[in-house]
Amino acid sequence: MPDWGRTTLELMVQELQHPVRLDESFDRRVMVRVRRLYAERRRRGIVGWLGAAVNITRRPAWAAALAAGVVAVVSAGIVRGGGHPGTLSTGETIPVQFVLVAPDARSVAVVGDFNNWGLGDTALVAVNHNGVWSVSATVRTGVHRYAFLVNGKQWVADPTAPRAAGDDFGQPSSALVVEGSSQ
Amino acid sequence: MQGPTGMDSSDAALVARVLHGEVNAYGALVSRYRDKYARYAVHMLGNREDAEEALQDAFTRAYRSLARCEDPERFGAWLFRILVNRCRTSGARRVRRGQTFVHDETALLNASEEHPAEQTMWREEIERALGELSADQREAFLLKYVEELGYDEMAEITGVGVSALKMRVMRACDRLRVLLREVHSA
Repeated sequence: MPDWGRTTLELMVQELQHPVRLDESFDRRVMVRVRRLYAERRRRGIVGWLGAAVNITRRPAWAAALAAGVVAVVSAGIVRGGGHPGTLSTGETIPVQFVLVAPDARSVAVVGDFNNWGLGDTALVAVNHNGVWSVSATVRTGVHRYAFLVNGKQWVADPTAPRAAGDDFGQPSSALVVEGSSQ
Repeated sequence: MQGPTGMDSSDAALVARVLHGEVNAYGALVSRYRDKYARYAVHMLGNREDAEEALQDAFTRAYRSLARCEDPERFGAWLFRILVNRCRTSGARRVRRGQTFVHDETALLNASEEHPAEQTMWREEIERALGELSADQREAFLLKYVEELGYDEMAEITGVGVSALKMRVMRACDRLRVLLREVHSA
């Protein structure tokens, strides 16, 4: 490379390496888009990604259909004044997977009306997979209430499921509808 | 890396916080890489408006695909790859629109405030010369000499072989020498 050319290119590069500064309004514009995406995910019940947010429940695909059922049945129950949790059981049992992402938790258990709220050591103890706690259980068809018990004392409702009407034990709980294969 | 609040503010820690639902942690990543990558986008696309749009889009795409960032410690490199691709798309669209390469008006304005008139003219010459390069050559030149990447890194980011990149850089330098000499002799 000739000296003239090298010098010119060096001067050019030096000029091009001057920083380009964007103001903070750029950050705000980006974060508006990001928060919109986040809100959209929440609305669709996909909060987070594989890891999801702390205290967020994830279920397998078939459970999404159940979640839709929760809304329909619980709403109908309110309108009809019926559908009280724990009263629609038909006797059939269906496997349900409960998942909670809680990386900082030391223990997670599932308590609900289907296991007598964990009384007498009936709580479903979840297994930790790198902060994703999960446990499967067979639950009778019908409308149920449940919650997660974190570290043996913190009562956490499922943020992705509808909140059950009325609070058992003064604590929030979530509603779950388990439909039978013939329903 | 410790932030002012004592929290780990490394890229990996911030990515983990975002993935766990702390959406505001993404703002720290935006602030960290905003100016660093704006320079590449401005020089690659030739104007601030398109550059900001490309950069915004890159940040948004990165957020949307954050779980697919295999090495969160190298979030910056991963984001830069997204931006380079985004600039390619934007550049191609501009060519289809028949738009000419224009200089960064804001940068020129700033330059004229801080430097004598010759500096502004020099800056204009540089931007014009860059705009005369093909997009491939401009990309290779900027990555090599302005962003100071090695050829292996460039190959990883662009998906182009090292030999081809070396050729593009060489041709870009040759072309720039001619263009700048023409300006000086005019």
